[in-house]
Amino acid sequence: MQEALLEVKNLVTSFRTADGTLQAVKDVSFEVKKGETLCIVGESGCGKSITSLSVIGLLPQNGSIESGEVLLEGKPIQDLSHEEMRRLRGNRISMIFQEPMTALNPVLTIGYQLREPLLLHRNVSKKEATVKAIELLKQVGIPYPEKRLKQYPHELSGGMRQRVMIAIALACHPGLLIADEPTTALDVTIQAQILDLINDLKEELGMGVLMITHDMGVVAEVADRVMVMYAGKKVEEGTVEEVFGNPKHPYTKGLLNSVPNIDDPEFELEAIPGSMPGLNEEISGCRFHPRCQFAMDKCKVLDPPEFIDRNGHTAKCWLHEDEEVKADESNGTVTATV
Amino acid sequence: MTTTVQPVPHQENRKKREKYYVTTLKRLFSNKLAIAGLVIVVLQVLMAIFAPLITPYDPVAQNLMKSELPVFSEGHWLGTDNYGRDVWSRIVYGARISLVVGVVAVSLGLIGGVTLGLLGGYYRKLDSPIMRIVDLLFSFPGILLAMLIIAILGTSLINVAIAISIWSIPTCARIVRGSVLSVKEKEYIMAMRSMGASDLRIMVKHILPNITAPIIVFATMRMATAILSTAALSFLGLGAQPPTPEWGAMISQGQDFMWSAPHLTIVPGIAIMLTVFAFNVLGDGLRDALDPNMNID
Repeated sequence: MQEALLEVKNLVTSFRTADGTLQAVKDVSFEVKKGETLCIVGESGCGKSITSLSVIGLLPQNGSIESGEVLLEGKPIQDLSHEEMRRLRGNRISMIFQEPMTALNPVLTIGYQLREPLLLHRNVSKKEATVKAIELLKQVGIPYPEKRLKQYPHELSGGMRQRVMIAIALACHPGLLIADEPTTALDVTIQAQILDLINDLKEELGMGVLMITHDMGVVAEVADRVMVMYAGKKVEEGTVEEVFGNPKHPYTKGLLNSVPNIDDPEFELEAIPGSMPGLNEEISGCRFHPRCQFAMDKCKVLDPPEFIDRNGHTAKCWLHEDEEVKADESNGTVTATV
Repeated sequence: MTTTVQPVPHQENRKKREKYYVTTLKRLFSNKLAIAGLVIVVLQVLMAIFAPLITPYDPVAQNLMKSELPVFSEGHWLGTDNYGRDVWSRIVYGARISLVVGVVAVSLGLIGGVTLGLLGGYYRKLDSPIMRIVDLLFSFPGILLAMLIIAILGTSLINVAIAISIWSIPTCARIVRGSVLSVKEKEYIMAMRSMGASDLRIMVKHILPNITAPIIVFATMRMATAILSTAALSFLGLGAQPPTPEWGAMISQGQDFMWSAPHLTIVPGIAIMLTVFAFNVLGDGLRDALDPNMNID
């Protein structure tokens, strides 16, 4: 069993708004192990980005962690001071963003921006930082690194810029890399390159990666484990093989059916009817039941807990109540009532 | 990892960057008024620097034998004033005073305004208090505020510069705050925060370089206002004191001889007008040339 790098326990993140306090993340728990990629999947507005921002402590000013714990290598970090958190960021947790076009400062050279994390967290001179910056650019596969250092972001292509972003994020060898839709803004061919790069670097540096995406293709490519979120809650979690091969929650099934399959000429795209509820919408029972084709009477009244089956595949759905393995049983001999 | 071999892009990119500056300058120079402004400003700066070399007389040396000579007199092409002082020499030295006071006032105003603007724009909590103080400063008519400050500090050119700088702070703070508000929401600022950069570092090293264009334009336009205000305050007797060759003071002294020697008011008046005009059109030209909407690629 690998060591848990990041553990998030019962995270609740809320926002103060004109309509009162809204919970964007409701009681979400997960963990990322060293050398593992966890993908958080879900529609826009399901709280996946807010989950990642809660971890790195960069929530918007009106947002805060209401309850729950965030543990990095076993130590709680959710209550660290501004200054302590600042020293963690870029050093032990790094983040790469969706838009490489806007995530680099247009008026500063690539070299300047690459040196920043090194000057911030490592006690190095500007010269040493420059040498390290050239190494980093080589590591992310950028040709002519010495020349790139003097260039400005607008002189590089989108793929190049995302490589630079990755180089900046990895400058201090963080244990955890958070990637918030890192390939959404890129061409498909470049997407594959960037995902390969993140994968290679993950293996090389033994990082844990928390990848946020809405693209099932990306998940299949890079994930070790998948967590599906819906309306602020985790609805399903399991290894990528389990979730893709045996999706349990009707929402996950819907997501998988809405990805085009070019190998199967008979395949028809299926949209999930309706749209995700707003944060302030009161829904009794399971939050997915108004859109769920398998909804039972029970679903309308009672919010399902997480049912964990023998493979550690969890689903928050009454359909899978009978597959649950009791925690004490799963430690010893498995006697599931399937 | 792929390391594909590509043609060396360096040369091409340097050209592109040079092209950026060239286009900015081209834009500036395509504006004929801006060129006129730039020429006048440059001439004035040269005049101020080489004042002792291009003036035949000491600007404060009196020669009562030759008082109130009209323009184009022999040896005094702009005539002399009631004490026989050479008007050309006084105008040239006056350029020195105007520029120095203008630069000092604008610099001090920028230091205050940029600091307040950065703090107000970056920290939401400081925004309200800072902007209310700025509003308070705005509620005074500028020249009255300057007069009030000089009344407190006493009359001298240094105090004029301080007064004008304080009066420049609110406008500058507002411009900077507005720009900071838009820049700080950019993803690259978020990215820097995710790298663990401190607030001060983000403000000074990452936001400030992005808002230089509006600051440059503000400073240029403000030079015009500062020079005009210096002249106005000196005219009212609150700035430069005789015999300092300040343009506003020259007009003030010359107004008693309006009928016998009109050039004593007209010549410094033209000097003030040309300078203010030059800085204003240059500022306008710079604003158009540095338009943030223009396409860099």
